[in-house]
Amino acid sequence: MATEQERAERERVGGTGPIASVTRWMENLSDTQFAYLLLTPALLLLGVIALYPLISTFRMSLFADNLAGGLGEFVGLTNYVDVLTGQRDVMLPSPFLPEALTVEALFGSALTVTLIFTLTSVFFETIIGFGQALVLNQDFRGRRWVRVAIIIPWAVPIVIQGMIFYLMFQPGIGLFVGDQNPSLLQQWGLIGSTPLATTIDATMIAIVADIWKTTAFMALLILAGLQSVDRTLYDVARVAGASKWQTFKRITLPLVLPTVLVAMLFRTIQAMRVYGIIETVAGCTTVPSLSCLVITSFNQTLNGTSATVAFITAGVIAIVVTVYIVGYAREEIE
Amino acid sequence: MASETNTGEIKRGPIERWVAKAIKNPDRAYRSMFYTVTIFFLFTTLFPFYWLLVLALTPENRLYQANLLPAGFTPETFIRVFEVIPFHRYMFNSIFLALMTTAIVLLLASLAGYVFGRLDFPGKSIMMLLILAISYFPPAAFFLPLWRLFNGQIVPGIELYNTPGAMILPFSALFMPLSIFVLTTFYGQIPDGLEDAARVEGTTRLGALFRVIMPLSAPGVATAGVLTFIAVYNEFFFSFLMNNGQPGNWAPIVGGLLQLQRAGQFEATFSVMAAGSIIAVLPVAILVVIAQEKIVSGMTAGALKE
Repeated sequence: MATEQERAERERVGGTGPIASVTRWMENLSDTQFAYLLLTPALLLLGVIALYPLISTFRMSLFADNLAGGLGEFVGLTNYVDVLTGQRDVMLPSPFLPEALTVEALFGSALTVTLIFTLTSVFFETIIGFGQALVLNQDFRGRRWVRVAIIIPWAVPIVIQGMIFYLMFQPGIGLFVGDQNPSLLQQWGLIGSTPLATTIDATMIAIVADIWKTTAFMALLILAGLQSVDRTLYDVARVAGASKWQTFKRITLPLVLPTVLVAMLFRTIQAMRVYGIIETVAGCTTVPSLSCLVITSFNQTLNGTSATVAFITAGVIAIVVTVYIVGYAREEIE
Repeated sequence: MASETNTGEIKRGPIERWVAKAIKNPDRAYRSMFYTVTIFFLFTTLFPFYWLLVLALTPENRLYQANLLPAGFTPETFIRVFEVIPFHRYMFNSIFLALMTTAIVLLLASLAGYVFGRLDFPGKSIMMLLILAISYFPPAAFFLPLWRLFNGQIVPGIELYNTPGAMILPFSALFMPLSIFVLTTFYGQIPDGLEDAARVEGTTRLGALFRVIMPLSAPGVATAGVLTFIAVYNEFFFSFLMNNGQPGNWAPIVGGLLQLQRAGQFEATFSVMAAGSIIAVLPVAILVVIAQEKIVSGMTAGALKE
């Protein structure tokens, strides 16, 4: 806190211009007032660009669709009921719920294809990321460059990530898809002759693309966890004659698990929002993720439904977050 | 070593011999396993870039022959990218949007980071929670009202669609939370004594932030800046939806590459797409090589803190 003497000194130096008086006013604010003054620009931006749209989206989700543009009459939670029970599916560009319990239907519905995408990609990212973290945790020559190589896919723009996998599976270029001579993947029956236009194949490609790009995030977080493990524990294990596998299972894994869970939580939240990689590789009609459904129904002026799907997406993410937090809390208690 | 002890035993193939050695000398097995795994990771992360290079160097009419080596050599494809579409304008737009967003985010997040890292006030944890909660929502949940707002459907006269503002504002709001958390950590670590000393010298509170705390946390500011720049440069959702894809309307590289992709349905432009992708990836690739320590520390600090 400024003393009386300091304040007098500053008034003498600062003069009486508008800048000086604003400065003086600022200096005389209490800590709380000053804190909120500095937060104002950030809160204003978040308020207009994030909070207001969220509230507005929620309000829109309570109104019926109006195909002429804008919104229809107030219908309360009808949109949510209709979308969640599948009654809205006939109007939607792609169904929200699977129409049947066949594999095709599961990949064709917004909800289940998003869940399949998320579970599969996060599962493989965790395992591969753990492997990469274990490699980076060693001391070896060229470690810095291996780390660069592992991070670079993470820094690649989504549209370029999409281009790479679009070109890899483009029929007629022939790395993975051959016209005359089918590739190994085709011979094994993993992909058809036009994988980018087939829902299941395209989903798989999007998953592989996602794993390629975002495993680095997982690896770096797990690496941070590995490096925070107390080294003396390893010495104790070695003296006790534990094998490398025992050391890993009994010391490394339990201590790193909380970090792995946090990393998985972050990746899950991001994977549930998947949009860009699908749009560039295959298009939203082939792989209808939840975010895709928001945009495709918006493009058909189904504003109410689009807003409803957006909020249901947020709701599904919230449920997943809760599951993780409960799991994490249980882990902490043990 | 192992081969000497083997003499006189039953004849073994190379694989069995290797296994026998590995059993006698597990460290050696671990080491070769380690190198195999490392090379595998290097291959999987880097091969896609090599594949782009193969496609870019192969002449368009021989692409079906391209395999692990380019079928031909046409480096002029890298120049054609700029002739087919104004790719330089798309690149400029991307970099401009990323730099502007980074500047805004660093300024606002510095103020907020100072508040959260160095001041105690009622409502602090609620404020942090609120900022965190906003970053959980998918971009799709913000999209509709923002699209209407930027098209002048809510406040007549404000039409930001097809201008930098329509992208910079959502980018800033979306990526600011991460920078706030990174800067809160860094600013919180500066000893109080240094700030007090500056204040006794007659610096204002804001002056202390910009002249003492920010320079002392320069690595933190650089970290937040690099992460924001990469995040904006990589962004797809608003970059794609908040303009009509024309270079004059501030469309970033997303617009350029998708335009090439769409043209690809009528004429073969796959080599040009590959060359454009390589050019557009260079800025971030260079940034990763230069600033990898900052990226690593920022990603882990930001995520584990939250």
